[in-house]
Formats: sequence, structure tokens, C-alpha cells
Amino acid sequence: MMPIWTKSGKKHAVTLLKVQDCHVLKYISKEKNGKTAQLVVGGKNGSPFSKSKSETEIFREAGVPPKQKLSVFNVTDDALIKPGTPLYAAHFRPGQFVDVTAKTIGKGFQGVMKRWGFKGQPASHGQTKTHRRPGAISTNKAAKVYRGKKMPGKMGNIYRTSFGLKVWRINTKHDIIYVNGSVPGHTNCLVKVKDSKLPTCKDCNKNPPFPTFFADGDENLPEDLYDEEVFQFTDPSVTYT
Amino acid sequence: RNSSDEKPAKFQPPPKPVIIDKLKQIEERRFLSPEFIPPRGRTDPLKFFIERKDMIQRRKVFNIPEFYVGHILAVTTADLYAKDKVNRFVGICIQRGGKGLGATFVLRNVIEDQGVEICYELYNPRIQAIEVLKLEKRLDDQLLYLRDALPEYSTFDVNMKAETRLDHEEIPVNKLKVRMKPKPWSKRWERPNYNIKGIKFELPEKVMKEAQKWRKPWLEFDMLREYDTSKIEEKIWKEVNEALKK
Repeated sequence: MMPIWTKSGKKHAVTLLKVQDCHVLKYISKEKNGKTAQLVVGGKNGSPFSKSKSETEIFREAGVPPKQKLSVFNVTDDALIKPGTPLYAAHFRPGQFVDVTAKTIGKGFQGVMKRWGFKGQPASHGQTKTHRRPGAISTNKAAKVYRGKKMPGKMGNIYRTSFGLKVWRINTKHDIIYVNGSVPGHTNCLVKVKDSKLPTCKDCNKNPPFPTFFADGDENLPEDLYDEEVFQFTDPSVTYT
Repeated sequence: RNSSDEKPAKFQPPPKPVIIDKLKQIEERRFLSPEFIPPRGRTDPLKFFIERKDMIQRRKVFNIPEFYVGHILAVTTADLYAKDKVNRFVGICIQRGGKGLGATFVLRNVIEDQGVEICYELYNPRIQAIEVLKLEKRLDDQLLYLRDALPEYSTFDVNMKAETRLDHEEIPVNKLKVRMKPKPWSKRWERPNYNIKGIKFELPEKVMKEAQKWRKPWLEFDMLREYDTSKIEEKIWKEVNEALKK
């Protein structure tokens, strides 16, 4: 995570996401799947020995080295991409809004105070062996404990999404996306980045590269793409008039 | 010379004069700002490389002078709510923290009997100028104890004139021992975990002896805490110097 400053002098915290060897692996047609067509995208390159035979077949058919993470994207019919095409960070542009999904940091078996934020009991004034316990778990009339009752258990290591994160900057040379705020997961974990589904962010994407950014195309992008408001370090210091 | 040799004594040329090139000597002293050194962790070195590129880019446009804790600095920032939209603050650098672009330094001064500490970010684009007014290192790397010292040690004239740099060698170390206000202090500075050498402790011996109870002599030999930065520093220093010269 890094600080980033805008031209008005405000500071924002930014997370760096690296797009490492992403390829489109498979196309699942609309008829096979429910409503929309789907594209399976693979992430970072990994060893072929940790994947089952059926999964390695997908990599072989696409002509692509075996990947560590696979994720599925629902895609409209006009945005289909041929399996085997590489995907780059320039697929996203600064000023766009993005949702990031990842597995949260695993905390192991945790008690009710850390896991659900219960208040616990006082430290003194006669409490006998009860300082971090849940207290009552149901009423008398119910005569049972409801399903989904908040209790101690394994915390973390589940998929969570942060919505509506602004993309401030893109580095096309090293394929890095600078995304506003924090993102679930530990450092160097694998993450899924999608266009935002929030209704306020519907019109934020003006002329995105459609269906994706092709490296062998005619576009020659500069090494760094900045949002309009971002202060670039080549400019002189910010002054107010 | 009256040798029994028949051949005449061989001509011994005079010893060659040793030329001390003053320009080369200047380059010998290396200073790498501490925020360039990456902290120990599991982050990808690519992240530090990209951050360093940004830091070097900022240093090319705006000069960040070499300074240590104990130097007296004057910082001018762009402030929306100040007169002339510009704010100048003079103070002694108490502490330098943070790594990478978020590196900070805290300046302390006593203005009209009120102690003021301001934490500035080195790479904040609102900073217009950083001038070093007085160069002197102190005996410790952090001077947070100045909060509990007598206010005369933290007062500095706001209109102080800049001191010119003597040579590109040897920043003088001020071995000043500071006198403290009566206890209680904000932290127990007499304890060995702070390792403070710049205070003149006027406490009774009993208290000083009791403070030594919290001594941790095994920390010096702890191998897991060792972080040898010499090779990393050299690499980064070369990289930063070459990039700044361009």
C-alpha cells in the first residue's frame, strides 16, 4: 500500500495489484450456462503437479502454462475473447471503478469477541471465570438455538469483496493497477478484479478498451497512465492561489 | 656510496608526490536517506522498486536535503487557510519515521510558551521548501524526551539564519546532556530499552539501579532480529545516485 496525492493536495491510500500472466482459458456458452456466457480466466503461473487431470486439460487446450488461480466472469455476447489471449493491466483505465474479491486473512479458531464483536463481560466486580464468553444464546420460549447463531469458530479465509474502488493509476510496463483503499487478503495473495456493479458507478467507464486491451494492437500506451486529479511527481510542488 | 661495486650507484629517482584529489574525497562520504531502505517483510521487491522510482522522480524536481535527527529545519508548505497561502515552520527534527513515499519527520519548537510538534511527510507535494538551518547530530536517534525536558532546550528562533555547510565531511555531534523537568515524564526515559544518552539524569542512584532491572542483555545476541542492510544500502545508493545524476 502506498500514499497517492491529488492535485489539490489531498492524500489517499492506494493498493498495488499486479496482473501476472493472465490468460483467457475457456469459453462457456450461454446455452450451457444459465443466463449469460462465461469466460474462465487463469491467474499466476504455477506448477502443473498441484492441479487435477481435468484442470490441466483446460490449460493444454488453451495452449497456456498451468495457472494457480481460475476465476469465472459473466460476459455479454459482444465481449467474447478467444481462449489463449493474454490479459494486461491496460484492460482497466484510470478513473474507472472496480470491485476486488479475495480470500481474507485466516485467523483460525476465534472466540466470539473477535469474530462477531461481542462485548463480553466486565473484568472485575465478581465475574467468575466469565470475561470473553457469549453469555445467553437463546430465549426460554424458543426452546432451541436458531440456525446461524453467532458462536466461536474458524474466522477468515473466506471470499470477500470490496466494492467501488477507484483506479488511480496504471503502469503498463510492469502491469500494475493502483486501486483506492484497502483490499481483502494478505500481501501477495491472488485477487479477482471486476468492473464495479454499483449503480453509482455505472457511467464512470468512458470508452474502456472493448473487449480487452490487445498488446499486439496499434495502440502505443505511455508507461504510466494517471487519472486527471492525480499529482504526478514530474510536476512542481502544489501551490494555492 | 663507497661501495666495493665497480658499477656506479644506480640512479634512485626521487619518490613520486602523492596527489590528494579533493573532488574525489568529497564523493567518499555516502548518505542514503533512511526511507529508501526497504523494511524486512514478505512484500515483493518490485513494489519497493516502483516506489523508489517515484521518490527519485520527486527528488529530481524538489531538493530534499540530507538531514538527521537533531538538525534544525525550516519547512514552507502550501496552506489553504494561511496568510499568503504559505506556512513556514522552524523546529528541531525529533524523529524520522516511515519507509518509502510515506516517510515522515517531526519538527518541534516552543512558540510563545507553547510546545508545538508538526509531523511533515517528505514526499508531500504541498511542501514548497526544506532548508537546513543548523547542522548537528545528537547522541540519540530520537529526541522524544525533549517533551519532558526544560523548554529552553526546544526553543529555537523562528527567524534564525541558515548556517553554511563547512565541508562535505563530518556532521558535528552535539554531546549536549539535557536537563529534565521533575518526574512524572511521558515515558520512563531512565530505562535501558530506550537507551538514551542525551539526558543528564539527576535522579537518585536507587532509581537508576532499579531501572536496570528491565535490562535485556540477550537482545544484542538475538539472531532473528538481525537485519544487515549494508549490501542492500550499497545497491540502492548506486541506483539512486545514477538516477539522480541523469
